Amino acid sequence: MRRDTLWSWAALAAGLIFLSPVLYTVVLSFQSVEAYYAGGFSFTLKNYAQAFGQYDFLRYLLNSILVSGVVTLGGLAMAVTAAFAFARFDFPGGNLMFAAVVATLMIPSHITLIPNYLTLARAGLLDSYAGLILPALANGFAAFFLRQYIRGIPRALDEAAYMDGARPRQVLWRVIVPISRPAILSMGLYIFIGEWNNYIWPLVALNDRDLYTLQIGLAQLYKENPGEDLVNWPLVMAASTITILPILLGFLLVERHLVRGITMGAVK
Amino acid sequence: MHSRATPYLLVAPLILFVGVFTYVPILTSLDLSFREWDFLSPDRPWVGLENYRLVMSSQEFWNSVRVTALFAAISVPLRLCLALGIASYLVREALPQRLLRGALFLPSVTSTVAIAVVFSWLFATDYGMINAALAALGLPRLHWLQDPGLALWVIIIVNTWKQLGYDIVIYIAGLQAIPQDLYDAAAVDGGRRGHVFRRVTVPLVMPTTYFLLMISVIEAFQVFTVVDVMTRGGPAGATDMLVNLLYRVGFTLFDIGTGSAIAVLLFVLLTALALIKSRVLGRRVHYEA
Amino acid sequence: MRHIFKTTALTGLLACAAVSAQAATTVEFWHSFKGASGEVLDGIIAEFEAANPGIDIEASYIGNYNDIVAKLQAAIPARRAPDAVILEVTRYGLFADRGVLAELDGYLEADPLRDDLFGFAREVGVYQGKTWIVPFNSSTPVLYVNKAVFAEAGMEEIPDLGDFDAILAAAQTVQQSLGDDGISGIAAPGQFARWGLIMANDSDLIDSVSGDILIDAPETVEAYEWMASLVSGHGVASVDGVTEEDNGRDAFLAGKVGMMMNSTGNFRSAKTALGEDLAVLPMPCNRACSVPIGGAGIGILSSAEAEVQQAAWRFISYAAGAESNAKWFAGTGYMPINRNTAAQPVAAAALEQEPGITVAIGQLDVARGRPRPPVVTWMRASEYDVWQAMALGQREVAPALEDFAARTRAEAARTN
Repeated sequence: MRRDTLWSWAALAAGLIFLSPVLYTVVLSFQSVEAYYAGGFSFTLKNYAQAFGQYDFLRYLLNSILVSGVVTLGGLAMAVTAAFAFARFDFPGGNLMFAAVVATLMIPSHITLIPNYLTLARAGLLDSYAGLILPALANGFAAFFLRQYIRGIPRALDEAAYMDGARPRQVLWRVIVPISRPAILSMGLYIFIGEWNNYIWPLVALNDRDLYTLQIGLAQLYKENPGEDLVNWPLVMAASTITILPILLGFLLVERHLVRGITMGAVK
Repeated sequence: MHSRATPYLLVAPLILFVGVFTYVPILTSLDLSFREWDFLSPDRPWVGLENYRLVMSSQEFWNSVRVTALFAAISVPLRLCLALGIASYLVREALPQRLLRGALFLPSVTSTVAIAVVFSWLFATDYGMINAALAALGLPRLHWLQDPGLALWVIIIVNTWKQLGYDIVIYIAGLQAIPQDLYDAAAVDGGRRGHVFRRVTVPLVMPTTYFLLMISVIEAFQVFTVVDVMTRGGPAGATDMLVNLLYRVGFTLFDIGTGSAIAVLLFVLLTALALIKSRVLGRRVHYEA
Repeated sequence: MRHIFKTTALTGLLACAAVSAQAATTVEFWHSFKGASGEVLDGIIAEFEAANPGIDIEASYIGNYNDIVAKLQAAIPARRAPDAVILEVTRYGLFADRGVLAELDGYLEADPLRDDLFGFAREVGVYQGKTWIVPFNSSTPVLYVNKAVFAEAGMEEIPDLGDFDAILAAAQTVQQSLGDDGISGIAAPGQFARWGLIMANDSDLIDSVSGDILIDAPETVEAYEWMASLVSGHGVASVDGVTEEDNGRDAFLAGKVGMMMNSTGNFRSAKTALGEDLAVLPMPCNRACSVPIGGAGIGILSSAEAEVQQAAWRFISYAAGAESNAKWFAGTGYMPINRNTAAQPVAAAALEQEPGITVAIGQLDVARGRPRPPVVTWMRASEYDVWQAMALGQREVAPALEDFAARTRAEAARTN
């Protein structure tokens, strides 16, 4: 008992030390810039007001939510339907197509950078939400993972539904999707986080500040060095907190799903 | 029951998007790598292998290869050793372990840009916390991000801090899959803790190690964000990873041909790495397990 | 038949004219000014719009000169280029050469502005015999001194700072007495100042007439050796200004540096930050008295519609006019480009009250325009890394410059 308590305290302390950069970020974001450079502390919400107002982070936040949300929903829809086909149908070319999808996990994304820029430029889709979303939709890992998961669902369940006269789409919706919900949820989180933190593509594809995501907005704010002579670190930290917080809160809510999703994919 | 077209219709959207945004671009990159183009001229003359010759003879490219390889060679083993060590302490499903696991895992899902910004502040010369700590101890302030001898280490530290939790979680899952009776047997044989770790744990988590090694090496060769935010490849090229070079050549100098040649070379390198590793490690995993 | 065609065309034209008279013409304009100078520019735009109700200038701050070049080049295949753009005076040749910019000679010939512009201001916009940009902000590098820092280091009077040795000696005096307090002797020179110091050593990076690449000429090497020694040999300049040149300026504005060589466009912010402690001196004459003309001008994109191009020209002409130029000069410290600027009250007042602002104008006798063929854009984007390597002691100056010169020659052969 005493040993356990000791362990708990030690673990908590270790965790806090490890996370101290994040914790300090949050603390600093409530500090006024004058007090920061004077070496004192005074609580203020001004940095957040500035970040959300003058520096447009409210807009960036909404852009990030919109883009990540659509990529997650669209990506899941594509991955689930394809995974269902790969898991349940034997069709000429199926294996080859599955291999092609899995191979994308090994293909470094940077090779697509210049060509995708040109494709979307030609389509007139740079500087648009569509330009951010379309290249991110196909998710090979989600398709692979869900296919493995669906293969673990007894075929008898599908067959019973087909006996009742269901069509494939209904089997997918009424049998496979409900059973796969935990796996789908995990993949949804995985896709959402990945897209939320995506940096290089929006960096290349965006010019219009109105479309900036949080990542680009934050990098730009840091690069442009707000403040007269010295970096306004408290403001930068408020912007960083805004960028981290949604994922942080989500993480606290669904940590188990997230960890399960990640480990299932890896260890199988 | 269903028509023959059904599976094709189901996979069509995914295949279409994978084709348009992954496979066609590979071919486009290959094509562009044999041409000269700056985005401005209407024509893109064919120059054969000239871009490859240019890349292979450029000091910048080999500097990036060296920096990226060094980064991978240091950060991958560092991550894996730390992660396995910590994971073996956190494998139990008790509250303190779970709390610590959560804390360690958190950075791996947060924004890389935000983390890079925060660490830029920590390592800042004049107002950074780390130099403040050094100064308090009477040590000189270091130019962490301006000194070519230190900057890569900062990038390694930041990257390790961010990715460690992911490795730990994967290792924990791998460790939990080891049957308890193997440990019991080792204990009966009188194995000490370190001995059991070396003789039972390490070989049995080999598949997990292989998986992590593979993805972390591939990941190391694609590092971009941390560097772009913290050093932009500097000082004096000391942190100029391959993808940062590619971005600069492509989207700052607009030498599209050379940029594409770098992309193709990196693609070939990573594919080769993946193939070699699965050969070599694949054998060893079987042998030891 | 023919008659009908004519009538239809005429009606169409009339209709177009009617529409354009009602709807405002929008000119999308990319620029590089934020902070105090951004506000002055906003003021000039607002006045222009008030005087030209049919024209709407949609201005966006894009970033520094490098950012604008990159964004513009990226925008071409995407067909999302603006209608008018600020381009730095050595980096527009690439866009002129590739047909991205519209020729401005036709407009300029018909505009009284032609005779009002100073000769140097006419010249910087000309590449291969044609005019592509009209200067908006012109500058030369000058030597800024923080008198308070000098006094604290024991130099009550500013010593002679006319050559490299004298500057180094003063920087060492500051560094020795105040280095422990976190104050350094001099800011590491930024790229504009580096070019100026090379010219002060009677050389150049690329010859502005012949186009010869002089990066590895002995005087260039000597100048770079001196500049690099400020950082890694003598330790009188902080490395922070090497990796990020704005850091050097920011540290000077914060009173933590004794001297800096930088564009005259920093005059206003330096004056605001340092007040009476600020002194402005001419650049040193080491082997020669010669300074580069810097700054940027506004160009018009050939992709813009004719009507928009005309509206953009009106804005260019207005911005370079005496009244706007006087506000700009007084508000920032950039040099007058218009012969009538000095006569404007706001400019006259600035000239009278602040002698420092005239240093750049005084240097005009020895100021030269710099080369602007396409390779300069590449050369400037690549020079940063070479400078970092030399200044941080990673590479010997001479071999690094030989290598850089060879690469630049190869690039010139490819792109010019």
